[in-house]
Amino acid sequence: MDYVKTYGNLIKKTMDGHPVAARRMVNFGLAEESFRIGHFPPKEMPQALKVLDSQSLANVNAALKNPQSSCWTNIFAPVELMQCFDLRCVSMECLASFLSGFKIEDALVNEAEAEGIAPTLCSYHKSFIGGTGSSILPDARLYVTTSLACDGNINTFRYVGERRGVPGFVIDIPDQYSQEALDYLVAQERELIGFLQERTGVRFDIDRLRETIRRENASRACYRRYLGEIRHRYYPKTLTLEMFLLFATHLDIGTKQTLDFFRLLEEDVKKYPERKGKAIFWVHMLPYYQQTLQEYMNYKEDYYIQACDMNLDYMEKMDADHPLQALARKMILNTYNGSYDRKIRNVARMVSYLGSDAVINFCHWGCKQSSGGVMLLKEEMRKRGIPMLVLDGDALDRRNSHDGQIRTRLEAFLEMIDTMGESK
Amino acid sequence: MIGYMCKYAPLEVLEAMGADLVRISPQVNDFSRADALMHPNMCSFTKAVLEDPAVKEMDGIILTSCCDSVRRLYDVLVRMYPDKFIYMLDVPRKVNDFSSRLFRERIQEMTREYGEFSGTTFDEAKLKDLLARREEAARLKGAPRQEGALRVGLTGARCSKSILNLLEDHHVEILFDMSCTGLARRLPVDPDNLMSSYAWAILNQVPCMRMVNASGRDRYIDGFRDRLDGIICHTVKFCDMYSFEYAHLKEDAHLPVLQVETDMTAQSEGQIRTRVEAFLESLGEPKHKKKVIHRRGDKKMYVLGVDSGSTSTNAVILDEDRNIVAFDVVRTGAKSGVSAQKVLDDVLEKAHLKKEDLTAIVATGYGRVSIPYADENVTEISCHGKGAHFFNPDVRTILDIGGQDSKAIRLNEKGEVADFVMNDKCAAGTGRFLEMMARTLEIDVSELGPISEQWKEDIEITSMCTVFAESEVISLIAQNKEKADIAHGLHKAIANKACSLLKKVGTQDVLMMTGGVAKNEGVVRAVEEHTGKKLYICEEPEIVGAVGAAVYALEEL
Repeated sequence: MDYVKTYGNLIKKTMDGHPVAARRMVNFGLAEESFRIGHFPPKEMPQALKVLDSQSLANVNAALKNPQSSCWTNIFAPVELMQCFDLRCVSMECLASFLSGFKIEDALVNEAEAEGIAPTLCSYHKSFIGGTGSSILPDARLYVTTSLACDGNINTFRYVGERRGVPGFVIDIPDQYSQEALDYLVAQERELIGFLQERTGVRFDIDRLRETIRRENASRACYRRYLGEIRHRYYPKTLTLEMFLLFATHLDIGTKQTLDFFRLLEEDVKKYPERKGKAIFWVHMLPYYQQTLQEYMNYKEDYYIQACDMNLDYMEKMDADHPLQALARKMILNTYNGSYDRKIRNVARMVSYLGSDAVINFCHWGCKQSSGGVMLLKEEMRKRGIPMLVLDGDALDRRNSHDGQIRTRLEAFLEMIDTMGESK
Repeated sequence: MIGYMCKYAPLEVLEAMGADLVRISPQVNDFSRADALMHPNMCSFTKAVLEDPAVKEMDGIILTSCCDSVRRLYDVLVRMYPDKFIYMLDVPRKVNDFSSRLFRERIQEMTREYGEFSGTTFDEAKLKDLLARREEAARLKGAPRQEGALRVGLTGARCSKSILNLLEDHHVEILFDMSCTGLARRLPVDPDNLMSSYAWAILNQVPCMRMVNASGRDRYIDGFRDRLDGIICHTVKFCDMYSFEYAHLKEDAHLPVLQVETDMTAQSEGQIRTRVEAFLESLGEPKHKKKVIHRRGDKKMYVLGVDSGSTSTNAVILDEDRNIVAFDVVRTGAKSGVSAQKVLDDVLEKAHLKKEDLTAIVATGYGRVSIPYADENVTEISCHGKGAHFFNPDVRTILDIGGQDSKAIRLNEKGEVADFVMNDKCAAGTGRFLEMMARTLEIDVSELGPISEQWKEDIEITSMCTVFAESEVISLIAQNKEKADIAHGLHKAIANKACSLLKKVGTQDVLMMTGGVAKNEGVVRAVEEHTGKKLYICEEPEIVGAVGAAVYALEEL
């Protein structure tokens, strides 16, 4: 019996008429999962990832239980600023993912589509719209989003903000880098600080932001050393855990808890053996629920996910003495901003550095910025002799991915890279 | 020749440099090339640009950072045409001093690069002169009013010519066209501070949905509110921005709103026609080409309604006392005209009448425009409303699942259409979907209903895409699942899709189901379970549209 599905069906029934009760069921489910991972984790799960998993679940649960101290964001928002106002950032993507973990994303997507939202919109956005519209997600105190990577953010947050009466701030990220672009962005950060001061009553302390940036730099330094280790070591993971890394590299970056995690990660990886199997470099979202991919890649040494480009979108050291400029630079120069060439260069550089055996690009339903360039990336990988597989599906809504199609493509691809390895 | 596609492109600067500008408005037949260069799930407009033969002839294209699809279009175009002037202009989404300064710099950068490409130079005096002449021309221009015509406003993503032509054919006055490049450019500038004020004026146009503050769109609509009969919101497949505008207008505009979606292909025109015409009918469109039909002495009168659908062609003869004299249903073959003739012959035979005995004939359905013997044609949306009201005046909501269409219609107490929504272009949730699935299960589509009654295991078909669902059904067959259980799962899936349509119009009592699929007890039960309402189904659910057409014919007399 599929207990999660049964529980999810119960949530779906309850949310129609009793959203608060449904919300409690979500809180209970997340607390249970956090407890389970903390006390009875899978034996293959590395120590650092246990900590990450358990903490991330607890953080999201805390944000859902205390919505008045939480801030809705997207994954690329400058969370460092919100931390200075004691706001707990919870991203729209992560909320949607957790709800999908209960297998209720179909009901939420249907809810959004019934309001007139396009079926072709990204499922993360639709689940978030459905989740807030059905009140299964409590209203946050405010939202802060950016135009970075995804043109859906502005419309989704504006729509939800207006419907729910949640005030918000949008940061427009210029496509190209220049002094004027930097000035424009820094001016928006200053305006955001004013907005946050007014809404929270907390006074902004730039030294606190500098400390955050220093911790972020220290975290990234540990992360870089971890990447150096996984060039030759096998570090067991699942698709879900690689997604969880986004908490550390994005949503919670700059916190003390996250720095502790990265320190642990750097040490933990050294306990693992030399790699033997095929290391896959993953591009874009990970369909964590997908049966065949789980079967082949979760804690499996033969073929495993070595890294995901979303966790490597900005690796530069930031100037803590000029934190607003540093944040502006981080956003404009993010590999998901600007021309697709930036992303191609980043993937090529990382694949070469990590010595990955192959690349898999997952085209997530509704994500134009990623899907639109996939053939360009494939062409570049072909030139470099790196095998690349393009998989189409949905990282969230199970109805848009078909296991049979993914299985055939994946198995053929793995056979192909095995054959290539033998003939080398 | 330089192509453009966005109102935020600084067209006047390029014109002042001698560029011959042309708006890119592609209409294509397929996306085979674009799908290979980008991805099938990209905005249809950007894919159509890649297919458009006119683009090949251009010397360059000015793109703006307006959305993710266009950003990727630039990445592909720049590789395809290394010798052309393919330029990405970064346009801020906010309007303030900083963004305006940034935009001015970006425009100046563009003029430098275009100058290098074309061997021309930019002269501010020329721009000043051109802007002054444009402003004067805009001041003098005023569209003549059309008395008695319906007045609609257009919003959404770029509107295809077919929609504009259709509205023109119906003598509709378009009060405004707020879609992408639809509004006339009014760019008031300060001649002493030309480039800064020009950059400011471009950013300060009526905003599009990509801008952070889009409330200017509401204010613009408000300016026309006292004269506006309804709004048509046009969306482009896989451009999601304007679905937010539709959702907002539907909820907050307090005006009739129609959403039409196109994918830049000529094939989507049929569906647009039905939607737009039904909308105009619901707004009370004055009939311009109404045929004058007179009673013929004291002889009893008969009228005919013909519904030319994708799967079946149905005909109904009513007498003047609104009694059904005869009806007939034939399979629509490869040519709708042939089926229409056959159904006419058959129904006349059943009624023991001759064609000359018919006083008026009204056609409806997709093939309504191709029925040569019809006096009038009315959309199937309005006809279903009339038909449902004929069978049961208490009906307020209709769910019609036909061969290639499914629709939800809300009626007022007179049986007039108050709101409606239709499925999109794909076959998901239609009769065609069930037919394909029945074929996969190697049974006749009529057997699906009875078989599903014997279900035991509750199987869920998660994919609603017909292609995905077929693969899913094949996998279930491979797992040795029972046909009854698969059929039951399919019915639940179709009910799920239908109910999301119903939700969009609001499900009110009494709910009626029409169309061929209403004969499938399995689907009916699944819809009833999903909505918690008992469905009203008349004896011949396929002929409701034709009955409605016949009622229209009677009302014409």
